[in-house]
Amino acid sequence: MKKALGTLALLLAATALVSGCDKVKQNVGSGKAEIKDTAYPEKVLWGDTHLHTSNSVDAFGFGTRLGPEEALRFARGEEVTATTGSKAKLARPLDFLVISDHAEGIGSTKALYDAPRMMITDPQLLRWYDMMHASPEESVKAMGEMLAVRASGKPNPAMSDKEAAAKRTTKLWNEHLNTVERYDEPGKFTAFMGFEYTLMQTGNNLHRNVIFRDGKDKVAKVEPLDPADAKWPEHLWDYMDAYEKNTGGKVLAIPHNGNVSNGLMWMMTEPGGGPMSAEYARRRAAREPIVEVTQIKGDSEAHPFMSPNDEFAGYGTSGWDQANLLGNIKTKPEDLPGSYAREALKRGLLIEQRTGVNPYAFGMIGSTDSHTSLSTTEENNFFGKHTGVEPSAKRATAGFVPGVNSGRMNWQSLASGYAAVWATSNTRHAIFDAMMRKEVYATTGSRMTVRVFGGWDFKTEDLKADWVKAGYARGVPMGGNMKAGGKGPPSFIVSALKDPLDGNLDRVQVIKGWVDKNGVAQEKVFDVVWSDMDGKRKLVGGKVPAVGDTIDLATASYQNTIGAPELSTVWSDPEFDPGQRAFYYVRVLMIPTPTWMAYDMVKYKLALPPEVPLRQQERAYTSAIWYTPA
Amino acid sequence: MTFKDNARRLLKEPLVHFLIAGAMVFLVLSGRPPDLGERRIVVNEAVAGALAQRFYDSFRRLPSQDELDGLIRDYVTDQVYYREALRLGLDQGDEVVVRRMRRKMESLAVAGAEAAEPDDSVLQAIIDKDPARYTEDPRTTFDQIYLGGDSPQTRAEADAKLKQLRGGKAVGGVPAPLPARLEGASASEMSGTFGDEFTLALRNLPVGQWHGPVASGLGLHLVKVDARAAPSKPSLANVRQRVENDWRAAAIAKSQAENYARILKGYDVVIELNK
Repeated sequence: MKKALGTLALLLAATALVSGCDKVKQNVGSGKAEIKDTAYPEKVLWGDTHLHTSNSVDAFGFGTRLGPEEALRFARGEEVTATTGSKAKLARPLDFLVISDHAEGIGSTKALYDAPRMMITDPQLLRWYDMMHASPEESVKAMGEMLAVRASGKPNPAMSDKEAAAKRTTKLWNEHLNTVERYDEPGKFTAFMGFEYTLMQTGNNLHRNVIFRDGKDKVAKVEPLDPADAKWPEHLWDYMDAYEKNTGGKVLAIPHNGNVSNGLMWMMTEPGGGPMSAEYARRRAAREPIVEVTQIKGDSEAHPFMSPNDEFAGYGTSGWDQANLLGNIKTKPEDLPGSYAREALKRGLLIEQRTGVNPYAFGMIGSTDSHTSLSTTEENNFFGKHTGVEPSAKRATAGFVPGVNSGRMNWQSLASGYAAVWATSNTRHAIFDAMMRKEVYATTGSRMTVRVFGGWDFKTEDLKADWVKAGYARGVPMGGNMKAGGKGPPSFIVSALKDPLDGNLDRVQVIKGWVDKNGVAQEKVFDVVWSDMDGKRKLVGGKVPAVGDTIDLATASYQNTIGAPELSTVWSDPEFDPGQRAFYYVRVLMIPTPTWMAYDMVKYKLALPPEVPLRQQERAYTSAIWYTPA
Repeated sequence: MTFKDNARRLLKEPLVHFLIAGAMVFLVLSGRPPDLGERRIVVNEAVAGALAQRFYDSFRRLPSQDELDGLIRDYVTDQVYYREALRLGLDQGDEVVVRRMRRKMESLAVAGAEAAEPDDSVLQAIIDKDPARYTEDPRTTFDQIYLGGDSPQTRAEADAKLKQLRGGKAVGGVPAPLPARLEGASASEMSGTFGDEFTLALRNLPVGQWHGPVASGLGLHLVKVDARAAPSKPSLANVRQRVENDWRAAAIAKSQAENYARILKGYDVVIELNK
């Protein structure tokens, strides 16, 4: 035996040599072009901060065989072959991409799939293994079973071999960083390093995407963090603190899908109970500057329950407001306020009033959360949430996870969204810094351009000259804080331009939230500029008439004969009270256009049940501008 | 290339690592590795070492004597069944086994391509073969004034404003979050902001004078092109990253295809189907 152990030492030495080979590989990221930043952001950049590839446990289980390299090629505009065999290409490339594979069990489904069958002794694992190898449909079912086991809180111990997982993670992460580095091309296309921290409490979604500002030299010093038994995000913030301290790099986190958190995403209290402290609020605000408010799994901007007077509040909430992410706990009405961003912005003001710190002064972006390696949001070129629902005649009426009764239908998926970033160059540092200062906005996929500036002396005449320069010189852009002490009400330059390949604009709204003198948070939606406002759409009883509808369902098409290509105005708050803290953000609505289901209906000649929505108004949500009394 | 360079390059090859590790095991240990074909199952120090190693990988400690005995018992059982199953041909027609073997063969073929680093001459040849793919977009520098959506009224306005511009007067447009001037914009940048029709229209506009109205996905514009840089010949230094990515993807696909073709040569594939 002694001799055997000596042999072992030798073998370990040999193993060390083998694993060392990755480190020898040269840093392919070196020699990148130096890009000059502009004085202020001149061009909006489009990207997706939330994309899964075959390295994600569930994405692989759902069937995707495309890895990070294909994901990057696709995002930068190249044609790839989707897992289900069809050719896939974006109408326009993206400017940046964050591949955010789940840290938990990264690569483990693929490892199970690749494992020698005879080494799998656990009957449950063997069953999943055989299902994954049997057919794509069976694979989706296997994934559904894996998620159900996860929701039960009793994971299969054979699946959680920590040591094997750690080894796998190290190898995969290193390969992944090499790939990302190879595709990051400053000035042309930015590839970020990141991962998803899939924090979950018995199925309640507390997920965060983590994005690094740095290259492999720094990021390789850490590995993606598995939430394991963590219940709250402080575990992640500790990891982020340590990363910055040890490497001198920078990292941020983006919470997403408050809509399926059952009220836990934006609580008034601290995790342990009791009112939120200033210290906790400060930490959250610093670590989580922006939030993903719209994606395939629904929209988390606003809900009619809290915003009964907002006729546009129910977008993308259907199906997602009934239960938490895994569908194992029903959502109660009192859970809703903690699940939607507008309410969170209001809660932020209340907490700030009490503690002096606003934990929820976040900016807003959209992203896809696609699990196909394909970042798509175009309604007529939508590859779905996962490979089981890539384009097919069946998908519009399939369950959200086909073959698994999740209570959600696939038609409740939105072809949404993208992150729009006002950065000073297309580089990691400039995009990251714009996210930190929240000069970003969300869209449901349409690429409309939106600018907002808040100040004390903006006049309509400003629009006749270089108003962008004036905006930066005399005010703050979206995501900023207005300095108190200006005279009169705050005024806002708001300018929105349609996507050159998409529908006209219906209207631009300012959504104001404030704390009234009784200490109660309030909200109001102001229509500030809309198409044909001096003509056919004059106010009726103080209300803007609907823009109309040009959709032809027989051909899934629409006409840009209604709405306007651009809408600009200078608006000042008629109800301003200098003693009340407030926020203002802009919502832009497009004219009605067909949903992806309407395109499927024409393409596959389907008869769809009446509950499937065929028309929608796509939209943009900007980050807010905040006002704090002196 | 010096001997040292060669040696360094060689040391990066995973296959070499594998061979070195294998050779070390073989050299140090007496005896020979077990042969799958024969009806003799040998548990020697190499086997026990490998079992202990696997245990160590999972638990970060060495197995106890009892545990090692258990691992060996399990190994023997595995081998008995495995060899007997092969003898009985149970692997035949098992789709899972077939696919698993195929994947192993495929991944063997690509390992080299993934780690290899191409020479400059190889990359240059790729550029020379398809220079258009790596050619920088033509760059256009222009001023534009946005007039709003396309309508007879806007078109009339455009004509009047164009006259003023050509007469040297400044003219304002409709406020919109659009840059008034783009410096060295690529075709894809222009199409992203204005749509393809606008990019195409600008290709033929004479330089140095205001023209219009030019239609875009946003409406109508007056445009003055100041400069148009012809597509530059791609230099390896500028496009290395993209070429190398393409080379690697192609090398993996090629080595897989070649490997398959090579093996296929050893087989007669006979398709006996009635027409």
